[in-house]
Order: sequence, then structure tokens, then C-alpha cells
Amino acid sequence: MTMTTSSLPSRFAWLDKGFWQTTPGPFRVGAIILIAHVLFAIAGAFWTPYGFAEMGAGLPLSGASLQHPMGLDQIGRDVFSRFMYGAHIVLLLSFAGTVLGMVAGTTLGLLSGYIGGWFDEITQRIVEAMISIPFLALALVMIIAAGPALAGEPVLIVFVVALVYAPRIARIARAAAMEIATREYVAVAELRGEGTWSIVFREILLNAANVLLVEFSLRLSYAPILIGALGFLGFGIRPPTPEWGLMISENRNLLIASPVTVFGPGLGLASLVIGFNLFTDGLSRMLGQRSVAGA
Amino acid sequence: MSVARLLFSRILFSALTLLLVSILIFLILEALPGDVATRILGRDATAKALEVLRSQLHLNQPALVRYFQWIGDFLRGDLGVSIATGRPIADVLAPRILNTLLLSLLAFAIYLVLALVPAIIQAVNRGKAVDNVISMITLLLLSLPDFLLATMLLFLFAVAVPILPALATISETSTWQETLRAMVLPAVTLAIMMAVYAIRVLRDSLIEVLRSDYVRLAELKGLRPRAVLFRHALPNAIVPALNVTALNLGFLIGGVVIVERVFSYPGFGTLLIDALQLRDIPLIKATVMISAAVYVAANLVADVLAVLLQPRLRTSR
Repeated sequence: MTMTTSSLPSRFAWLDKGFWQTTPGPFRVGAIILIAHVLFAIAGAFWTPYGFAEMGAGLPLSGASLQHPMGLDQIGRDVFSRFMYGAHIVLLLSFAGTVLGMVAGTTLGLLSGYIGGWFDEITQRIVEAMISIPFLALALVMIIAAGPALAGEPVLIVFVVALVYAPRIARIARAAAMEIATREYVAVAELRGEGTWSIVFREILLNAANVLLVEFSLRLSYAPILIGALGFLGFGIRPPTPEWGLMISENRNLLIASPVTVFGPGLGLASLVIGFNLFTDGLSRMLGQRSVAGA
Repeated sequence: MSVARLLFSRILFSALTLLLVSILIFLILEALPGDVATRILGRDATAKALEVLRSQLHLNQPALVRYFQWIGDFLRGDLGVSIATGRPIADVLAPRILNTLLLSLLAFAIYLVLALVPAIIQAVNRGKAVDNVISMITLLLLSLPDFLLATMLLFLFAVAVPILPALATISETSTWQETLRAMVLPAVTLAIMMAVYAIRVLRDSLIEVLRSDYVRLAELKGLRPRAVLFRHALPNAIVPALNVTALNLGFLIGGVVIVERVFSYPGFGTLLIDALQLRDIPLIKATVMISAAVYVAANLVADVLAVLLQPRLRTSR
């Protein structure tokens, strides 16, 4: 136990006061972008210039103006209001889906890596099979399989993101667990007679925290794109809820008449992902991990 | 001997993975609790419509029997019949796969240039302004959702500066010039998406290789810098990029779906979306199985190539 506790302070040293000055540039820029997005989303959840589903807020298709910075859509809804209201939906769905995928994937991966043997073999084959199905195809098939009653519900999107992510996270967690399982403090814990769950969640999980934190950040970066792609293809959140991917696809007919109506929400989505990516990049450098974008 | 054995075990594992994929797809689509026919047609469907669909999908038989029937037919090359069109799935799939293959080949050619040139420039000028600027651009492009990138390129080159067609609708009657022109925008979108992942890895591995002893030796021998770069450094630096490309194929197949959708290109991806929208279960099963097979096969090839290109991996087994 002494080993785990003594390694704690050094691992979380960057939480000390004044750590902001020592953080890498990308991390700072990313953090600022993300804070701006969160504040915008909180504001948009409570107040928007017009109602997000209010038709006739102005002349349909009249383009961008001071009252309507992103113009109006085909049925006269103010696109900026929809964009603003959609911000918290995009953030909440991304966060909930990634957290759920993290919990499932980490539990499975750590147990699989630590226990080993047949359990590991079977888990790995299933994980491998799930990763082999291109993630967008897997997501779409699951949405179809859920049936019309659940289609377009936020809860389904959260589950789909989690199910796409869980096997990929499990693979990372397993590799970390296998490496940590060979260390002395795990052997000591085994000698003390600690149970499997206790070792996995008290020794291995804590020591895999850095790897998992970077993985979480990396997955969170991609979640808005995945959710946006589902919306864009017409399999995401049910209209009229203004998810950004859905809005981009709804307004694609206006590309010639009013490009800002399409690229406004697009810019919002891109800047959110840029914020996440910069944040992840800086975080992985601070934690001494290498973040690799990958399936 | 050891290479042959390695190859054999990899092929065996790939086959096992695909078998598991088929079980997973079947479980998700047909064996979830609840009535499959009602899930496909919705709750308002008439009893007669439900009955017709049940007999089309052989839903009256137990799930286990249906699974073995499907996978047995599949392995014998009989992909079944599409519910929506009533045509054999093989006939529906063949032209779409050909179109997507054509698009992928063009995209791959563009990708090679888009990935290699910036990575080489970065590695040769590491730490300088060019290196940082290219890093910044790749990070920005990495953050662009594929559907947004496709829409932006469409806006730039088909609306703002109309030099290319916005819709890539090709048919048997179009000439090869028309086909090629229609394919440029979707192919470039795919190539950029692939390249941004590869550039970072390729840059890092090139820098590492350029620092290695044998590159130093080649330089000391008095070889021209260009010869050192292209003959000694590049072949060794490509292996990690190869693996990343294969791993990211899952992203790419998703990208193909979206890019084909944006440009209305009649390929495999639009077929998958159509099948999903029409709830055409036999067609969905076939398309997803094929896309998984492509992913597994590509990873197998990347594994084997990595072993063949890097003697170190051969002996470590």
C-alpha cells in the first residue's frame, strides 16, 4: 500500500497551484475554447434570441442579418437560436456517451488484462470482432435494430456512442492492465490476499489513470463528430431538436443562397473538436503519454 | 518456416473474427428480444404486412436455424434476395462495389501524394516554421468532421468557383472523362481524411529514422541527401504509417459512406444507407459483413507487409 500512496503525489503534482503557467500552449488554447463552448451551451440552454422551434421568426431564406446572424432556415426558424440551443445537446450527448463507454470499456479491459487466460481470450475475440465492423456501420445497424420506438431518442444515441467506444477503450485498458499486473505492488497486494476486484480497481485502475485519462479525452474529441455524422445521415436525434449535424444536413439546400446558415453550425462543431483535440494533445504531453488517433 | 506459421495463424484468427462478426450482426439485427417484423415495420403495420415480412425473412423458424442457413448460403456465395427490390443481393452489390473501388483507387493515389509530401517536408525541416505550420494545418483538418469537409469542398469547387460537378451521379452511359470529373471531389475529400492521420505518424517515424545510425552511416559514406532520404530513410519510416492507415480503415469506410452520400455517388456507402433507410435486413447484413471483411483483410495485409518489410519483427516471434 505504501508504494501506491507514495506514487500519488508525484502523479497529481500538476494539480498544484500555478500549474496553469507550466502547461503546454495547446492545452491552454484548448481549455479556453472548451470553456467558451461550455459557457455558450449553458447560456443557450436557458436563453436564445428566438425559440429554437419557433417558425416565422423572420422571412424564410432571407440570409444573414444583424437580427439573424446565421440567417433563417426554410421554414423561417432563426438558425443562430437553434445553434445556441443545440450546443448543450451536443456536449451532453458526447459526454454521456463517452463516460458510459469508458466505464464499460475500462471495466472489461482491466479485468481481461489482469485475469488473463480463457476469460481474456474470449473477451479479446469479441472485442476484435466489434472493432472489425466499421464504427459508423455498427452505430447505424444498432439504431435500426433498436426499432422505431427508440429511434431519435437521446438515450439511444448515448448507448450507441458507448457501444462503439467500449471495445476500443477495452483494448487500451487491457494493454495497460497487462503491463501494470507485472509490477511489484500488484504481487504484494496478491500476497496480502486481496481479491480480484480490489486489485483491479484499487491498484491497477489508479496506476492506469494517466493512460485512461488521455484515452477519455481522445474519445471525447471524436464524439461530437460521430453524433454529428449520425444526425447528418438522418439517423440521429429526432427533429426539431437542433443537433448540429442534423442542422447542417437540413440546411444543405441553402448552400448557394446563404452559406453561413450551413457553415455557422459547422464552424461551431469544428471549433469544439479543435478545442478537444488541442486539450488532448496538451494533456497527453503533460501526462507523458502519446495520444494516437486511431480506430 | 516461422513466417509461414505466423501467416497461417493470422489468417486463422481473421477467419475466426469474421465468424464472430457474423454472429454479432445476426444477434443485433434478428435475435434481440421483441418481434423483428414489428421493429422493421413499426407498430402501425397491418397484420398482413407483418405476416408477409415474417415469411420473407423466415422468421417462423428458430433463430439458430436461420443463422446457420444464412451463414451457410453466404459462404457458398449466395447472398440472398433484397426485400426492397426483390433482386438478388449479389446483382445489386456488384456495380456498387465496383464504383466504390474505382473511387478508392483514385483517392488512394491522391492520398499518397498528400501524405508523403507534407511529411517529408516536415521531417527535413523539423522544428522550423514550415514544420509547425503543417502540424497546425493537419490538426485543424483532423478536427473537421468528414461531412463538413465534404460540404466545404463542394461549396468551394462546385458553388463558389464552379469548376467541378456538385453531384457525382455517374451511370453506364457517362464517358470516362465525365466519370473522372465527377469523382474528383469525393476522392479528394477521402484522400485528405486519410492523409491527416498518416502525416503525423509518418513525420515522427521519418525523424526517428533520420536520426538512426544507418542513416548517419549512409550520410558519412557521402551519399547525396536525396538518395539517403528516398532509398534508406523512407522505406523504413513507412511501416508505422502503413499500420495507422490499416487501423484507420474503420474510419475510412465510415468516411466513404458519408462522402458518397454528400456527393450522391452511386457506391457501396449509399447502398448501405439506402438499405438501412428501407430496413432491408438481408441487404444490411450482406453490406456490413462485406465492410467488416474488407477491414479484416486490410489489417491482415498490413500485418504481413509489416513483417516482410521489417526483418526485426520476423525474428522476434
